[in-house]
Amino acid sequence: MNDLYIIITASLVATTCALLGCFLILRKMAMVGDAISHAVLPGIVIAFLVSGSRDSVTMLLGAGLIGVLTTFLIEFFHKKARLQTDASIGVTFTWLFAVGVVLISLFAGKVDLDQDCVLYGEIAYVPLDVIITDAGSNIGPRAIYIMGTIFIVIVAFIVLFFKELFLTTFDPAYASAIGISTALWHYLLMGAVSATTVASFESVGAILVVALLIAPAATAYLITDNFKWMLIIASIVGILASVTGYYLAVWVDGSIAGAIAALSGVLFILALMFSPTHGLLFKKLKASHSTAENSITQPFSVDPADSR
Amino acid sequence: MIMEDKSITMQPALEIHDLTVAFDRKPVLWDIDLTLPQGKLVGIIGPNGAGKSTLIKAVMGLLPLSSGYVKLFDQPIDEVRKRISYVPQRESVDWDFPASVLDIVMMGRYGKLGLFKSPRKADRDVAFDCLKKVGMESFANRQISQLSGGQQQRTFLARALAQQADIYFMDEPFAGVDAATEKAIINLLRTMTEARKTVVVVHHDLQSVPQYFDWVIMLNTRLVAVGPTESTFNQHNLQETYGGKLTLLADVADLIRRESYPSREGSNR
Repeated sequence: MNDLYIIITASLVATTCALLGCFLILRKMAMVGDAISHAVLPGIVIAFLVSGSRDSVTMLLGAGLIGVLTTFLIEFFHKKARLQTDASIGVTFTWLFAVGVVLISLFAGKVDLDQDCVLYGEIAYVPLDVIITDAGSNIGPRAIYIMGTIFIVIVAFIVLFFKELFLTTFDPAYASAIGISTALWHYLLMGAVSATTVASFESVGAILVVALLIAPAATAYLITDNFKWMLIIASIVGILASVTGYYLAVWVDGSIAGAIAALSGVLFILALMFSPTHGLLFKKLKASHSTAENSITQPFSVDPADSR
Repeated sequence: MIMEDKSITMQPALEIHDLTVAFDRKPVLWDIDLTLPQGKLVGIIGPNGAGKSTLIKAVMGLLPLSSGYVKLFDQPIDEVRKRISYVPQRESVDWDFPASVLDIVMMGRYGKLGLFKSPRKADRDVAFDCLKKVGMESFANRQISQLSGGQQQRTFLARALAQQADIYFMDEPFAGVDAATEKAIINLLRTMTEARKTVVVVHHDLQSVPQYFDWVIMLNTRLVAVGPTESTFNQHNLQETYGGKLTLLADVADLIRRESYPSREGSNR
């Protein structure tokens, strides 16, 4: 049963991240996802200090706000201070992350958070933290309920506002021209990324959540040319990585989150090699096929241009 | 009553008052004042960096105005968004995006649909109809990364048509388009203006200006001239717009005088 709980949690984290990751990579904002996942740390700590518990909505909101603030700061430094985008990302998230680290060490006694857990997560503890109802019955791990809720919210967000998200991702200037606010959808999406990161950080940690945001989406990008399929394939890749990653970790007796992230990388490389549309192998086959054809026709060619 | 009806049909498509746009305090457009009537095919011309694209972006509210205001059909821009369409520069988007031609054209329907509504069959029919108008119906399910430059441009045009707007702003729709496609597009724009649509086009090729446009906006940070092409597009205004930069000027003026236009292949662009 514990295996199943861990796999379900991991799959929920992976699919939620994968769905949002598709938007991030097409908006060329993969590194903004990275930035948010780190920058929410002070939000988590502050919300924890204020509310005094870990499973509160306050925590999600606090971190969500910090995440939106991060994207705002990145844009502010880029536009007003004329800093390069990558430099402004680098400055913003490391700074916020550092503030978070200081806060944790400062309130180490009061805060039930430790740095290792925040950075790397510990999904193996998921089955231990269960919800017990007033009647005293065990209704399963808390993480599954939190991640499940986030998953449903994100899926609903994408389904309901698919048009707006799709259009502002592909052609923001045109979207604004026809009256669809690019800023609004940008910040809503970033808020969603922040909330997801916060909900995921306990299970996979701030570093590995980036792998789940980007790798499955990048894998799906290599496999399909249809955006809706990209969302579906990215989710499947996320689940696949979670399941295989879990058993890999059990087999080698290593970190579960690490194995999941590592396997999502492996799946990416497989797609890079064997994808029917963008795969290197397929391209090579096609290339060698056409050169083979050329070598057949060449001896018979009387075109003087060939001798050049 | 009759007077009122008349005043509505005679409403200017676009009014720009004292418009100034600056980036970092450096003015890109300075004190532009102009009015465009409805139902005209209007060309915006001027040298590189004259602010041609900036002008249409500012009009659509995509850039902050330093001063001045803009009215479309006698109303502020946000009141009439549904009547406005835009064809951005082709290079402004990522053509490797996972989408089909039809996906892109369907975007033209999004503004009318509003929140929470998904496109219906009627929208799909409009999109197909617009693809037909630009001769791209057989490419509907084609991946956009596989399109040629001209096909990309026509896809954008179909998307703008699918909006069924009243005024269209187009940023260099002829860039990287072959001569045959350019002809087809200009014919399409003509039929649109005949249906009293207003089409404003950022344009580069001076030779084709008299042939293509009813009206012309001549721009070089400041507004040099605006008006019907035959009375406005003259040597004096060209000199004013391009300064000494254009050695071709005399030739162009010559062409206008003779009112004969050589084929594009013959021109030394």
